Amino acid sequence: MGEFILQNLNLVLPLFLLALGYVAGSIAERRHYRSIEMREQELVSLPAVTLKEIQEDDAVTGRLVVGSVVVSIDYFKRALAILRNIFGGRVASYESLVDRARREAILRMKEEAASLGAYIVVNMRIEMSAIGQSANRKKQVGSVEAIAYGTALIKQA
Amino acid sequence: MIVTNVETIPGKSIIEHYGIVQGSTVRAKHLGRDFMAGLKNLVGGELKGYTELLSEAREEALQRMVEQARQMGANAVVNVRFATSSVAQGAAELFAYGTAVKVE
Amino acid sequence: MKFVPKEADGAVNISKTHPLAEMAWLGGGLFLLAALVYLGLTLLTGWIVHHLPVDAEVWIGKEILQQEPGIPSPPLKKRLDALVECLPQGSPLKRYDFSVRLIESDTVNAVALPGGTIVVFSGLLKEVASENELSMILAHELGHFAHRDHLKRLGKGIILGAASWLLFKNSSQPFLFTFVSGLDARYSQSQEEDADMWGLHLLYRRYGHVGGSVDFFARLLKKKRQGRLAYLFASHPHPQKRIERLVAAAREQKYPVKAVEPLGSDIQNLLEDLNRE
Repeated sequence: MGEFILQNLNLVLPLFLLALGYVAGSIAERRHYRSIEMREQELVSLPAVTLKEIQEDDAVTGRLVVGSVVVSIDYFKRALAILRNIFGGRVASYESLVDRARREAILRMKEEAASLGAYIVVNMRIEMSAIGQSANRKKQVGSVEAIAYGTALIKQA
Repeated sequence: MIVTNVETIPGKSIIEHYGIVQGSTVRAKHLGRDFMAGLKNLVGGELKGYTELLSEAREEALQRMVEQARQMGANAVVNVRFATSSVAQGAAELFAYGTAVKVE
Repeated sequence: MKFVPKEADGAVNISKTHPLAEMAWLGGGLFLLAALVYLGLTLLTGWIVHHLPVDAEVWIGKEILQQEPGIPSPPLKKRLDALVECLPQGSPLKRYDFSVRLIESDTVNAVALPGGTIVVFSGLLKEVASENELSMILAHELGHFAHRDHLKRLGKGIILGAASWLLFKNSSQPFLFTFVSGLDARYSQSQEEDADMWGLHLLYRRYGHVGGSVDFFARLLKKKRQGRLAYLFASHPHPQKRIERLVAAAREQKYPVKAVEPLGSDIQNLLEDLNRE
């Protein structure tokens, strides 16, 4: 049996990595989503909007707040994306990746705003970029970077 | 659902706002389309397959954003922005985000 | 304008398909696609090979030989000629001008090249113990020529290489290749078994009995004990399986088994030369 594995390493190794990627990847993703949902609930009263002006009479001061994150894809989902690229359609395995990255970036921005004592983030923008070119090209880091920024409005005491 | 990319909706006034809503998608075309696009690249011109891909992705991202806004009880999304990322090779990744509001 | 805190539903941005189900669908589709491509290529190369003239084959063979010329071996050629003599009149193999070349290498193998060249590696020659065994090996390679396996393999290799380069450029597709080469191994094993059968019949015509036809495989079996599992994706069948099939075929045809002839002095001299180096 051991000999068989050694001789067919090119077959056994990807299968092993697929299983590892699937198990570890889905555990990590579930944990991340749980933390995202918890923190979103905590920060639900601190809104972030794309609007420039919010009619508020109080004298306020503004401060730039930024949140960014880099999230990587697992081996299983990358294989899934490569397969999906052959047949076309919705690349479901990357949807959760970009979703997680964006929500995490917004959360970090909001957390910064909350620590400044802000009550709203206005004119918020989100940018995304990929580090290491493309995720499903071999020998490259398959990850996505999200950055959210906006102006935190703080009530003057 | 009214969607605009300015701060307000002309002729209406915003009474409530609910924060940010976002929609995103990652879509790819099949290998045959990629191959045809590669051939088309030799002579130039519009890549119909990819134009289609992009508009499908844009539609889906918008529709998902609107769905999020609807679930919040909003009837409009203002100051909508589109952005792209490029994680997957040969795939279109679009996302749309804006502020969910209620207008009267 | 007042703010009403509400939670956004994050689930709308994620598809609900289970990743494992998606993998099963896509993987199944890919397997089907690969199987279809493989089948198409097999039929295509079969057709081309069938219509390829011997002249073109000889030319291809020359091109390959330039890479690794080896040395022509008169003692081996003598045995091959004796086998070719025994071929029935009108055999398509009569069109070939056969030659045998010896290449020094530890590989225990012989290869049939396009154009009627049989390449024997010295590693194989060192394993051989009798005239009958040697004839069986040469007859087996002649069997590949009779079935045109040498061309089929070459043609499929070229087309598969070209197709994969066109589709995937440099980014190799490990799953696809493993699958196709797995299919190819099954096909190649059946080719080897057919060549074994063909060789057995020729061996009978040459000597009037089939003694020594399985000796070589028996020795191979004793030398390295490998499980059958290891042969799942190998290009050759398990030696035990080959022996069983040969013995069964000999019994069915009522081929007698008699004592083998020891190696001739010219081959023994050749072996001594090889061992000295």
